[in-house]
Amino acid sequence: MNDVAVTTLLIVALFALLGSGVWIGLTLAGVAWIGMQLFSSRPAGDAMAITVWGSSSSWTLTALPLFIWMGEILFRTKLSESMFRGLAPWVNGLPGRLLHTNVIGCTIFAAVSGSSAATCATIGKMTLPELGKRGYPEEITIGSLAGAGTLGLLIPPSIIMIVYGVSADVSIARLFVAGIFPGILLASLFSGYLMVWALLNPGKVPRRDGTMTFGQKLHESRHLIPVVLLIAAVLGSIYSGVATATEAAAVGVVGSLLLSAAQRSLGWQTFRDSLMGATRLYCMIALILAGAAFLTLAMGYIGLPRHLAEYVASLGLSPFMLMVALAIFYIILGCFLDGISMVVLTMGVILPTVQAAGIDLIWFGIFIVIVVEMAQITPPVGFNLFVLQGMTGKEITWIARVTMPFFFLMCVMALLLWFVPQIATWLPGKM
Amino acid sequence: QTKWDLPAAYPASNFHTVNLQQFANDVDKATGGKLKIQVHANASLFKAPEIKRAVQQGQAQIGEILLVNYQNEWQLFGADGLPFLADSYDQAMKLYKAQKPFLDKKLGEQGMMLLYAVAWPPQGIYSKKQINSAADMKGLKWRAYSPATARIAELVGAQPVTVQAAELSQAMATGVVDSYMSSGSTGYDTKTYEQLKNWYDTQAWLPKNAVLVNRAAFNALDKPTQDALLKAGAEAETRGWAASRAENDRTIGLLKQNGMNIIAPSPQLKADMKKVGDVMLKEWLEKAGPDGKALVDAYQK
Amino acid sequence: MRKTLDLLYDGAAWLAALAMIGVLAMVLLSIVSRQLGFQATGTDAYAGYAMAAAGFLALAHTLKHNEHIRVTLLLGRLQGRAKHALEMWALTAAVLLAALFAYYSVRLAWQSHVLNDISTGNDATALWIPQLGMAVGTVVLLVAFIDEWWLELTGRRVTTEPEEALHNE
Ligand code: NA
Ligand code: NA
Repeated sequence: MNDVAVTTLLIVALFALLGSGVWIGLTLAGVAWIGMQLFSSRPAGDAMAITVWGSSSSWTLTALPLFIWMGEILFRTKLSESMFRGLAPWVNGLPGRLLHTNVIGCTIFAAVSGSSAATCATIGKMTLPELGKRGYPEEITIGSLAGAGTLGLLIPPSIIMIVYGVSADVSIARLFVAGIFPGILLASLFSGYLMVWALLNPGKVPRRDGTMTFGQKLHESRHLIPVVLLIAAVLGSIYSGVATATEAAAVGVVGSLLLSAAQRSLGWQTFRDSLMGATRLYCMIALILAGAAFLTLAMGYIGLPRHLAEYVASLGLSPFMLMVALAIFYIILGCFLDGISMVVLTMGVILPTVQAAGIDLIWFGIFIVIVVEMAQITPPVGFNLFVLQGMTGKEITWIARVTMPFFFLMCVMALLLWFVPQIATWLPGKM
Repeated sequence: QTKWDLPAAYPASNFHTVNLQQFANDVDKATGGKLKIQVHANASLFKAPEIKRAVQQGQAQIGEILLVNYQNEWQLFGADGLPFLADSYDQAMKLYKAQKPFLDKKLGEQGMMLLYAVAWPPQGIYSKKQINSAADMKGLKWRAYSPATARIAELVGAQPVTVQAAELSQAMATGVVDSYMSSGSTGYDTKTYEQLKNWYDTQAWLPKNAVLVNRAAFNALDKPTQDALLKAGAEAETRGWAASRAENDRTIGLLKQNGMNIIAPSPQLKADMKKVGDVMLKEWLEKAGPDGKALVDAYQK
Repeated sequence: MRKTLDLLYDGAAWLAALAMIGVLAMVLLSIVSRQLGFQATGTDAYAGYAMAAAGFLALAHTLKHNEHIRVTLLLGRLQGRAKHALEMWALTAAVLLAALFAYYSVRLAWQSHVLNDISTGNDATALWIPQLGMAVGTVVLLVAFIDEWWLELTGRRVTTEPEEALHNE
C-alpha cells in the first residue's frame, strides 16, 4: 500500500473516531493500533505498553503535574485577584486593557516553565475566572490564552529546545539565549493584535475604572508582591543552582502552598480540592499523552513522517522555498503529532538537508520551536486546545477557531524570522 | 524481502550510529535488498532503557544498547564499566573477548544473540576545579548517572547529583553539577567545554555499545542472508573500534580547541583512583558470583 | 453494586492523589539532599513512577467526573434515539480500546516480572512493582467504561457537567 492510501485511511479513522465522540486519548491509541496492525509486521500490544509506560514514567515530564497542581493552588488563593489589582492600573490605558494579563502572565511564567501545556494551565487558572468575572468576552480571553501559552516553548527554559539541541548537536545554552528575543517579539505581536482587536470591537472590552496618578499606580502595584515573590523564588531556584529546571516546579508548589497559607486561604478543604483537581486535570492530559506516545511509535514503524521528510528533502528547493515547504510540512504534521515527536521522528532526515542549504542550526532551532508552537493550537491534536477544553468545557473546534488569529501571528513571526534572522542569531552570537 | 527495525538511542551523527547505518547499507547490498534494516536513531522508536526488552520480545528484530545500562539486571553486563579494570583500547578488547562467552550465553538464554559490540572512547573526569588527588574530590557536585558513578562519588566523598542528560548543560551552567565522568566524545557532544574547563584523562573504563538480534527473527532468515548479516556485523565491529579511536583523537582535539584543559592525572590521583577501582572490583565480584570471577580470571590471564 | 463501584473509582483516585504528593516529595527530596549533602538515590526514578501512578489510578474517577475530553460537536446536536445510538457506539469503541489498554498493561507488568526487567537507573527497582499502578489503573478504567456502557444501554446514564467548567464561568 502506498503512503497516500495509508495516510488517507489513518486520517479518516482519526476523524471518524474523534467525530463520533470517542475520548481523545483512546482515539489516538485506536488509530495507532489500526496503523500498526495493518501497515507494520510488528505486534502492536506489547510495543504499546512499553512505550506508554516509558513516556508516562519519564522524569522529564514530572514538571507538568507539579505545575498543574501549582495552578490549582493559586486558583484557590486570592493571588490571582491581587495580581489583577496590581496589573490593572498599568494595562488599563492600553486598548484591550486586562486582556494583556494573559500575554504578560504567560510571558513571565514561560521563563519558569519549559512546557506550553503547563504555562497555559497555570496562567489560565488565574486569568480565566478573573477576566470572566469582569465581563471580557470568552472568545478573546480563551484564544489569547491558548496562543500565549505556547510561549512556554520559546522563552527559556524549554523542553523542546533541549530535544532539538541534542538531535541537532547544537548548544542548548545558545538555543535558550536565542529564544529570548523571538519570545518577547512574539508576545508583543500578541499584545499588538489584542490592541487592534480592542480598537475594532470597542463595545466588547469592559470600561476602565477611573484614572490614577503615577503614585497611586505604584501603590496599587503592591498587590503584585506575592506573585512576584513566587516567580522570583522559582526562577531564583533555577538560576542559583538550587534546583534544575524540572525540579523548579516543586519549588513552585511549595511556594504557592506557603502563599496560600500566608493569605489564610489554605485549609484542609482547599488543599484537598487543589490536589484532586490537579490529579484529574493531569490524568486527563496523561491519557492523551499515552495515546500520543503510542501514535508516535506507530508512526515510527510505518515511517510516514520519515517518508514525507525524505520527499521534502528530495525536492531540491531554494533555501526560502525549503523553509516554506518545511513550515507547511510541520504544520500538517503538527495537526496530528505533538511537538517532541515531530522533532524526534524527522530530524534525522531534515537536518542534513537544512545544513546543505547553508541554514544556521541555531536559527533553524528557533524556527522549529515556532512551528511546534503552532502545533500546540491546531486541531485535532493540539495540547493547548486539550488543556483549555478540560478547563473550560468548551468544544475543541470552538477553541481552535478563536485561537486561529494567534496561529496566523505565529506564521507572521516565522516570516519575520526569515527576513530578519538576527532576531534569533544576534544574542547567542554575543556569547 | 524482509524488513527489520533497528532502534538506537544516540543521534544520527554519533559515530556508533554512523557505523550502524553503514552496517545496514552493507546488509542491504550483500543480500541484494532481501534484508532491509531501518535504523531509528536518536531514541525515535524506543528510548534507551526500553531497547533491550523490545528486541527480547520481538518488537524490534535488532537493536543497539549500552551494555553497562543493564548491570542492575545482571552484574556481568557491567564488567566493562568497572573503573580501571581495562583502561585502554587494547585492554578493553581483551576484556571484551573474556566477556563475550558469558554475554553469548546470557543473551542466548534470553532469546537474543550478540551481533557485535564497539567500545566508547575512554572515560575521564570533567571538573570545574583542579583535582590532584581523591581528597580534592571531596564535596564535588558529581553527576551520578549510573550505579558505578554513584559508588565512585561515595568512595571519594563527592556529593552524587542526579541530573538527566537533557538537563546536564543547564545544570552545569547554574552549578547544580560541577563534575562528572565521561568520554571526550560525550563531553564534546554535550558542549561541556562551555561550562567546565578541566578534563582528566584517567581512561577509567571503555563501556561498549552492543548490537543485539532477536534469535527467532534471525532463525527466520535463509542461510545466505544470515551469513551476510553476520559478515556485515563482523565488519562493523572492526570498523567501529577503529572509528572509536579516531573519534577519541578527534574529540580531544576539538575539546582543546574549545579551551578545555586536557590533563594527564597526577600519580597521586591515579593511585587514589586505582584504590577506588579495587574496592569496586571487590564489591562487584561479591555480587557477580562465580561467573564474575571466571570472567575476571579469564581477562587477567 | 453501585456503592462498591463508586468506592473502587474513588479509592483508586485517592491513591492517585497520594502518588501526586509522592511526586512532590521525591522532587523536593532530590533538591534538599543536594543542599544538605546527604544521599537520596533514585529520587528521579521514584518521582517518575509516582507520576505514572497518579496519571493511571485516577483514570476512572476522572471519567466519572466527565473530565476526560472528547469531541461532542455531533453528539450535542443529536436528540433521542440518534443520540443514544451514537453514545452506544462511542462507548463500545471506548470499552474495546480500554480493554486492549488494560490487557496489555497487565501483561506488561507480568512480563516484566517474568523477564526480570529491572530499572537501569540508580534505583534498580524491579519494574513490575511500579507498573502495577498502570495495570490496576487501566483495569479500573475498563470497569468504569463497562459501567458507563451498561448505564447508557439501560438508559440510566447521567453525565455531570465537569466541575472545572463551573469554576471558570
Ligand atoms: Na519556557
Ligand atoms: Na496540533
